[in-house]
Amino acid sequence: MHKEIKKVLIANRSVPATRIMHTCRDREIATVAVYSSPDRLASHVAMADASVHIGGASASESYLNKERLIAAALANGADAIHPGWGFLAENSDFARMVIAAGLVWIGPPPQAIEAMGDKIAAKDIAATADVPMIPGITNVTRVEQIEQWVAEEGIAYPLMIKAAAGGGGKGMVKVSNGENLELALAQAASEAMKAFGDDKMLVEKCIDPAKHIEVQIVADEHGNVLHLFERECTLQRRNQKVIEEAPSPSLSEETRQQICATAVRLMRKIGYVSAGTVEFIYDPVVEKFYFLEVNTRLQVEHGVTELITGLDIVSLMLDIAEGKEIPFRQEGVHRSGWALEARINAEDPLTFNPSFGTISRLEVPHGPGVRIYQGAYEGADIPPYYDSLFMLLMTYGQRREDAIRIMDRALRRNLRIEGVKTLAPLLLSLIGHDTFKQGDFSTRFIERFIEQSVEQPVEMEEPWGEETPRHMDELTATFTETDGEDKLQQIAKYVAKISALGPQDWM
Amino acid sequence: MECINFAKPGMSPQEIVSRVRSLPGVALTSTGMRDAGQSDYKNRHRIIDLATLAPYYDRMGLFSVECHGGARWHVGIMNRQESPFEEIAILREQMPNILLQTLIRETNLWGYRPYPKNVIEQAVAAVDIDVWRCFSFLNDVRNMRTVAEAVMKRGRLFQPAISYTQADWTTNEYYIGVVRDMVDLCGGTDEIILCIKDMAGVGSPKRIGELIDAIKQAYPDLVIQFHRHTTDGLAIPSLLAAAHAGAKLLDVEEDSLTRFYGQPPILGVDAYLTESGIPVHLNREQAELAVQKAREWNGHYVWAESPFKGFDHSVIEHRMPGGAFPSSFEQAEKGGFLSSMPAILKVMSLYNRIVKYFDVTPGSQITWVTCSGIVNRYFKEKGQAGVDEVIALLTKFVAEKGQNFGTMTEGEQQELLGLFSTAPGDFKNLLLGNYGRLPMGWPADWVYQSAFGSEWTKAIRDRKDLSPLDVLTDDDLPKLRSELAAHLGRSPSDEEFILYLMHPKDALTMIAFRDEYGEAPLVLPSDVWRAGLRRPGDSVEFELGGRPHRIELVSIGAEHDGTFPVVLRVDNKMRVYTVDAPQTEGKSGGAKNKTRMATGASQIGTPINGIVWRLGGPGQNGLAVGDTVSKGTELANIEAMKMENAIIAPFSARIEEVCISLNETVKEGQLLFVLSEA
Repeated sequence: MHKEIKKVLIANRSVPATRIMHTCRDREIATVAVYSSPDRLASHVAMADASVHIGGASASESYLNKERLIAAALANGADAIHPGWGFLAENSDFARMVIAAGLVWIGPPPQAIEAMGDKIAAKDIAATADVPMIPGITNVTRVEQIEQWVAEEGIAYPLMIKAAAGGGGKGMVKVSNGENLELALAQAASEAMKAFGDDKMLVEKCIDPAKHIEVQIVADEHGNVLHLFERECTLQRRNQKVIEEAPSPSLSEETRQQICATAVRLMRKIGYVSAGTVEFIYDPVVEKFYFLEVNTRLQVEHGVTELITGLDIVSLMLDIAEGKEIPFRQEGVHRSGWALEARINAEDPLTFNPSFGTISRLEVPHGPGVRIYQGAYEGADIPPYYDSLFMLLMTYGQRREDAIRIMDRALRRNLRIEGVKTLAPLLLSLIGHDTFKQGDFSTRFIERFIEQSVEQPVEMEEPWGEETPRHMDELTATFTETDGEDKLQQIAKYVAKISALGPQDWM
Repeated sequence: MECINFAKPGMSPQEIVSRVRSLPGVALTSTGMRDAGQSDYKNRHRIIDLATLAPYYDRMGLFSVECHGGARWHVGIMNRQESPFEEIAILREQMPNILLQTLIRETNLWGYRPYPKNVIEQAVAAVDIDVWRCFSFLNDVRNMRTVAEAVMKRGRLFQPAISYTQADWTTNEYYIGVVRDMVDLCGGTDEIILCIKDMAGVGSPKRIGELIDAIKQAYPDLVIQFHRHTTDGLAIPSLLAAAHAGAKLLDVEEDSLTRFYGQPPILGVDAYLTESGIPVHLNREQAELAVQKAREWNGHYVWAESPFKGFDHSVIEHRMPGGAFPSSFEQAEKGGFLSSMPAILKVMSLYNRIVKYFDVTPGSQITWVTCSGIVNRYFKEKGQAGVDEVIALLTKFVAEKGQNFGTMTEGEQQELLGLFSTAPGDFKNLLLGNYGRLPMGWPADWVYQSAFGSEWTKAIRDRKDLSPLDVLTDDDLPKLRSELAAHLGRSPSDEEFILYLMHPKDALTMIAFRDEYGEAPLVLPSDVWRAGLRRPGDSVEFELGGRPHRIELVSIGAEHDGTFPVVLRVDNKMRVYTVDAPQTEGKSGGAKNKTRMATGASQIGTPINGIVWRLGGPGQNGLAVGDTVSKGTELANIEAMKMENAIIAPFSARIEEVCISLNETVKEGQLLFVLSEA
């Protein structure tokens, strides 16, 4: 059935909202933004053709408020809703309500969301599709269940406690021994309840060292299920991805074919439609991959796949939602070059504590091989209520080292952010690290890297000789190496101060 | 006179000395970049202005340019936010053909305490200066040893300086003894230049002529440079007398910079000596251009000039050095005792006959603090009558009774014994010999009784006759360096470390300033540096890294929430800057609005910025004062960007205070709870 989309309401904010609006503009589809009170001056509001206030600061009053979102779409003549990522993107109830309201849901069928949203059910389905599984137990509510399973199956710690309904690292806690099991389970359950309204938990053996590899899928109503190759998202902190890339530097061509085929097989089995991702844990020692979960939505890191395939995934989602057939076959999907993505979160680069406030200065990288998805502008506020991501910085080159070099240039020489702390110094030191350059890193790399950087004392053995500064220290220092514009700002700051206050006592 | 530079950087000391010897007449050192500014402008002359003189200096035929050292070092760090290392680099680049000269206080270097050998060696090795003029306020040549060795080892010119004053005890014989020590220290007269440093400007033409003549008779090959301040009004004839007697080098400054307490004017000195038949090695045209150039910017420093103006021939009594004039009068003005200055100067003129040394750093500071302290104490206790009384007492004791303590009445003796009871610690250090040997030996016993009270016999027993160099043990440099690194949160540069060694507290402040404001001190013109842009539409143009820039003031908003919004157009781009209003004490509401931060083990703070979404643990309904909690219990949960952070009780405790409420937004480190041990 063909349904033409003329106006899309984007039930999201910041980067996902503006990202989707760009494609809509491309296709001359009108857009409706929604916003909470503190977001009234946010960039997605300014960018949309129409904007609707949907509630107060807390997400439950605004971006999670299903009824208001649908009412806003209807009132503004939107014929479709794109949920972006996060918020209601993987909420099957919402998808059903959207469809019931006569609107087009730009996403997978509600049943697919529901099936994959329950991590336990997802595993059962995956198992039937011959997808390899990590040992684990489901439906966990009590500590004793975990203890019994560990004892019976001879499972070694560490373990991972996860929200059955979860994703994005929320409601996910790692347990390194049996002692803090109780507190960990309680915390994970509480976070899960808050983030997803469901505190059903599952527990798995934790693969270490592990890599995180995922396959991008697009599927249409006409039975076409294609993969757009894989992405590697191994660099994470607190189970949230920090740097992603495509393709993966860790896979042999043979494993790549296998993992992509496995993902397609699973999605076909589910009857998946729209863009989605099958995530795997990859054990580089034995070169085996295990099913992790299916993300039934557009993902933050979709851009790196777009860069190596030349496709616009949001545009494909619109086509698919309109009932069209994907205009190419698997043989028509080619990859070329290498893409990296760095997440610019408003966070302290060492402690990862959120850093909200006003972006007082923002210089955005440009030039060959750079793509930016920007969710905030200079002068904008980063409110404390939502996710800390406000910009995605992607670079693209023929070879991996080209993409890394361009990323280094973009972070070191172009990007300037003041007013809030960002992950940028950490990102720069990560991409400059030999381990990263060699592609030989695990999901625990950042954790270990930060430990090294922070705990190693300042060495002062040869005070006048060559020092070997701490890696992080050194790179953070080069990051703060000022360019002409930075230096000019320092002077302007002084002129502003003295102009306002007059001659100072210390003079 | 057609002139080229006869001495250049890179020449060996021996070659420089031999070239000076073969000069037909005299050559000049300009102090325009250091002592001129110190003596009349509190060292506030900024390098951006001084550097405009460099192209002229480079072609003027001067012997050297004094551009470094003395108090300029410390004031640079403290008040101008300029590093002495940057200054040398800028000047070297702009006048590569002229010798750069510093002034150094033997073991005190550019700081105010005696440094051990390893610090001295470290500092001398790090500073790129050609001529090292080194003086001792005690004329204790022993204290110069390490500097002399370090400078000569580097192949740079060492210039030992005699601290000169005019007193009954400063005879030719005394000075020749000092010169002998210097010549011995430096292994002869071929690699050094002797400086006679008349830092107060008291040397009469006749006396100077006689002294130089006597030294030249004892050491015919010794090259002599004469440095003199103008305070008494007799500088130019005194310079002529020095030249006649055989001094080859004379210190001068630009006419346009001349006020009352610095060096005599270069053009006047040139004219007067030339007319008197002494050839002056100077490119007059370039010198005139330099004088004119300095006039262009010197108007920016009117605010820094001494509130006490005019020559002062009575300097021959009180001997306040030119370099201390503006700062002393400024202190008196700020301290509200400017009207006591004549009395303080009078007390100084009597004091310097009781404790004999030379009034130059750090001696001048000891004299100033001690004498102003005495006058202020008497004024506070008994008003002007008290001040008159102490001056009469000292006059009687010094001038009439020849300092014979026994001839004073019982009451007068008691008064004298109280004189130094509140003297500063450095005065006591001086009496203990911690700076070295006093030129005329130790002061009389009653001075010790007065300064040390009942401990006075012990003080005399403990006083040392050694140089601080022989007493001080080396500083632990690696430890000091890591201390600095800890303060900065990064590895310091070698130069930052030297700054820190000289002036620890002020160096830290300056480094922090520069981390925040970058090169502002080096590139902004002096009017904008001092007062900013005054009216909307005012603008400033400057160069930074070779590129032109322009900043224009658009508006300054009214104070709001303790800040001023300042709008500037920076290279045509409009931007708002938030300037914190100065903290005024006792301002209403100030303390109330201040966020309490957690300090100490019993105060629990939040590790992150966030929102207090739960008080107490899961399922618990709040937390109240008086509740007891066991170790490990969750006290509250802070949420930020959808991540939860449990605040855990670090020990079993009773809740003494709950400092936040539910759903409050909290800042990192903010106090949440006060606990007591349960």
